[in-house]
Amino acid sequence: MRQILLTAALLCTGAASAATLKVYPYDGTKVLAGQRFDLRIEAEGVSALKDATVTLDGKAVEGLVRTTTKETSVEWTLRGMSVPTGYHELKVSLQDAAGAAAQTVRWYATPPVTGRAKKVILFIGDGLGWNTVNAAQLIAHPYNPANGMPTGKLAMMSDLSSMASVTTSSFDSALADSANTASSIATGQKILVNALNVYPDNTPDTLDNPRIEPITEILRRTTGAGVGIVSDAFGTDATPAAFAAHTRRRGDYESIANQYFQGAVKPDVLLIGGSRDFIPSTSPGSRRKDATDWIAESQKLGYTFVSTRTELNAASAGKLFGLFNIDNIPSYLDRAQYQRPEMLGDFKDMPFLWDSTKKAVETLEKNPDGFFLMVESGMVDKYEHPLDWQRAVWNVLELDKAVEWAKDYAKKNPDTLVLVTADHAHSISVYGGYDTSKGPGVRSAVGVYEQAGFPTYGDKRDANGLPLPETARTYAVGFAAVPDYCETYLGRPVFLDPTVSNGKTGAEAAFLPNPKICEEGAVQRTGNLPPTANQGVHTADPLPLFAFGAGAENFFGPMDQTDLFFSIARAMGVDATKNR
Amino acid sequence: MNRRRLLTVLGQGTALLPLWGLLGRAAAAPAPTTLKFSELYGRVTVRGAEFSDKLRALQGQQVRMSGFMAPPLKPKLDFFVLTREPMSTCPFCTTAADWPADIVLVIMPPGRELDPTVRGLSVTGRLDSGVRRDAETGFVSLVRLYAEQVSTQA
Repeated sequence: MRQILLTAALLCTGAASAATLKVYPYDGTKVLAGQRFDLRIEAEGVSALKDATVTLDGKAVEGLVRTTTKETSVEWTLRGMSVPTGYHELKVSLQDAAGAAAQTVRWYATPPVTGRAKKVILFIGDGLGWNTVNAAQLIAHPYNPANGMPTGKLAMMSDLSSMASVTTSSFDSALADSANTASSIATGQKILVNALNVYPDNTPDTLDNPRIEPITEILRRTTGAGVGIVSDAFGTDATPAAFAAHTRRRGDYESIANQYFQGAVKPDVLLIGGSRDFIPSTSPGSRRKDATDWIAESQKLGYTFVSTRTELNAASAGKLFGLFNIDNIPSYLDRAQYQRPEMLGDFKDMPFLWDSTKKAVETLEKNPDGFFLMVESGMVDKYEHPLDWQRAVWNVLELDKAVEWAKDYAKKNPDTLVLVTADHAHSISVYGGYDTSKGPGVRSAVGVYEQAGFPTYGDKRDANGLPLPETARTYAVGFAAVPDYCETYLGRPVFLDPTVSNGKTGAEAAFLPNPKICEEGAVQRTGNLPPTANQGVHTADPLPLFAFGAGAENFFGPMDQTDLFFSIARAMGVDATKNR
Repeated sequence: MNRRRLLTVLGQGTALLPLWGLLGRAAAAPAPTTLKFSELYGRVTVRGAEFSDKLRALQGQQVRMSGFMAPPLKPKLDFFVLTREPMSTCPFCTTAADWPADIVLVIMPPGRELDPTVRGLSVTGRLDSGVRRDAETGFVSLVRLYAEQVSTQA
C-alpha cells in the first residue's frame, strides 16, 4: 500500500494542478511608466498549496500579501505598484497537491514625453454618439431652404485642430456602460461594466478591488495640477465618479461621495447635481446611511459651497463645491424653456453647463501647475434612455455653448487643450421630417426624402438663442433599440417614461407602453429589446472626438477609448514616474 | 389580471371579496382625508426635503392617497412603493433604483400580501412620516402608509 501511494505522489509531480490563475493588470495591459496599480493574483481550485512564486522580469516580486478567501482559493495582492518604460513579463507558478499551474501576463509601459498642454478641458457628452451630434447639428443650424446648404456648424464641429472616431467596449462586454467607458478614458484600461477604475477580484467587497490610477490622481501626485469635475447629472454618477473614485459597483454612491473628499484626487472644483448623497441620512431625501454632512464638512476643508447659479457666478474661491439639485439637474428644455413646476420643483436658479465650465476654469487657472477639468453633459444619456430625443438633443446644444466658451479660452490661452467626446453611443437616428399640423403620432405626417423638406427649427428662439422644439415642421427622430412603446413624434413639457411595468416579477416581468403617452395619439412600435428592457440601451456605435488647441494632434483617426488616456498624457507631458 | 385576484381586502379575512364589499365597509368609518403627492413636501432644497404642514398635521391619522405601484420586487407584496405616475426605472442609471423624491412606502399589515398591479390604486391607511430605514430591506422611506385598504381607483 505504501508503495502505491508513493508512486501516485511521484506521478502527481508532473501533473497539472486544477487551480485556475487570474492576474490583474490583465495580459496585454498598457500603462504609463510609473502609473500606479494594484497587482492581484487569484488562484481558485487550489488543493493544499505547497509553493508559489511570482516573478516580474525574472525577479521575485516582494511585498505580496497573501490571503485565502475560501478553502480552495489563494490570493496575493500588492498595492501601489508601478513599472518602468518597456515590456514586462509577470510569471506566476504554483504547486499544490494536484500538481503545478502557471500563468504569464505581459504589460507594456509607455515612456514619458514632453507635452504642450498645461490645461485640459475634457467634455464628455454622455451618450453623445455621432448620430446624436448630427441631430443637434440639424436642429441648431437648419438648412437654407433656398439652396439646401447648412446655415452653420456646432461649435464643437467648427475650427477643429484634430478629430478622431472612438470605439468603446468593456473588459467583459462588447457593449459598454458609462462606468467602464469613463474609467477607460480616465485610466487607459478596459474595465468591467459597472466598475470604476478597478480590476475584477474574487471578494464580495466592492471597495477592495485592485485599483488603477486615473489621470487625475497621477496629476495630483506628480505635478499638483488642479482638478475640476463638473456634471449636470447627480454627482456620484459614473462619469464624474470615474475621475475621483474606485469601486467595483457604480451604485456605491455614499462611498463615492466620501471618496471625492477623502480619496487621492480631492478635486478643487466639484460642481454637480445630486445633493442626496452629500447630506446626512437624517435629512429627508438623503440617500446616505450615516450622519456625514459633506456640505458642512467641505467648508471645514476650505471649500466655498454654492447651491444656485447666482451664488456660483458670484464665487471667487480657490476651492469650490456646488450642489445645484437634490437629484440630476433637469434638462435644458425644462430649465430654459418649459419651466414646469412638475419638472423643476423648488429649484429655480440652476447654472447652465457654460456657467459651471467658466467658473470651474476661472477657479482652476489660479493653479500655476495647470489643471485638468472634466465637464460631463450627463443628461444627454439620461433622456436618450427613455427615448426623449428632444430633451437629449437640447442638452447637446447646451453643451455646445459650453464648448464654444472653452474654445475661446483656448485661443486666449494657447497652453490649453479642449476635447469633446462621449463615453458611449445610443441608437438615435434622424430619418424624416414631421408635419406637426397633423398632430401627434400620425404616421402619414412623417415625410421621407424630398417630402421631409427642411424643418423649421429656429424660427423662434429662447433667451439663450437656442431654437424651440415646437415648430411647424420638425424632424422624425427615433431609436433603433427600443422596448414596446408609443411614438408620438413630438416632445412634451412634462416628461413621461416610455414604458410602465407589467406588474409581474421574475420570468414574467416585462414592460408595456406607457398608456398616458399612447392616449396622446401615437403609433405603437413593437420593441426589439428583451421584454425585460424598459427603455433604450447603449450601443457599440462609434463616437466622435473633437480636439482643439495644444496637443490636439495626439487625437487622430480611429482610436480605442483607452487610447484617449495615453493621448491626454502625451498632450500634457505627464511623467507618472515623478513624485512631487 | 383578474380584478378579484388583485386585491387583498384588509380586515375581511379573504382576498377574494368583491370590491363593492370593501367600499361598503369603508363607508361606515369617517371618511379619511385625501392627501395628494403634490402635498407631501413644503420645499425641497439641496439640503433635503421639508415635510409640508398638511403632512405634519396628518401624522398618525387615516389618509387616502391615489397613485401607482412602482415596479415590484417580488411576486407577493407585504410592502410596495406608491408613485405619482406609473414608472419604470433605468437599469443602467443605478444599481439602487433612482426613485423620485415624492414616493410613499405602503406597508401591508402582518400576514397580508398583495399581488402586483399596473392599475391606479387608492390606498387608505395610517400616515407616518420621518426618515426610517427598514431593517430587513435597507429601504429608506420618508413617508409611509400603514395600509388598511388598498383598492383600484374608481
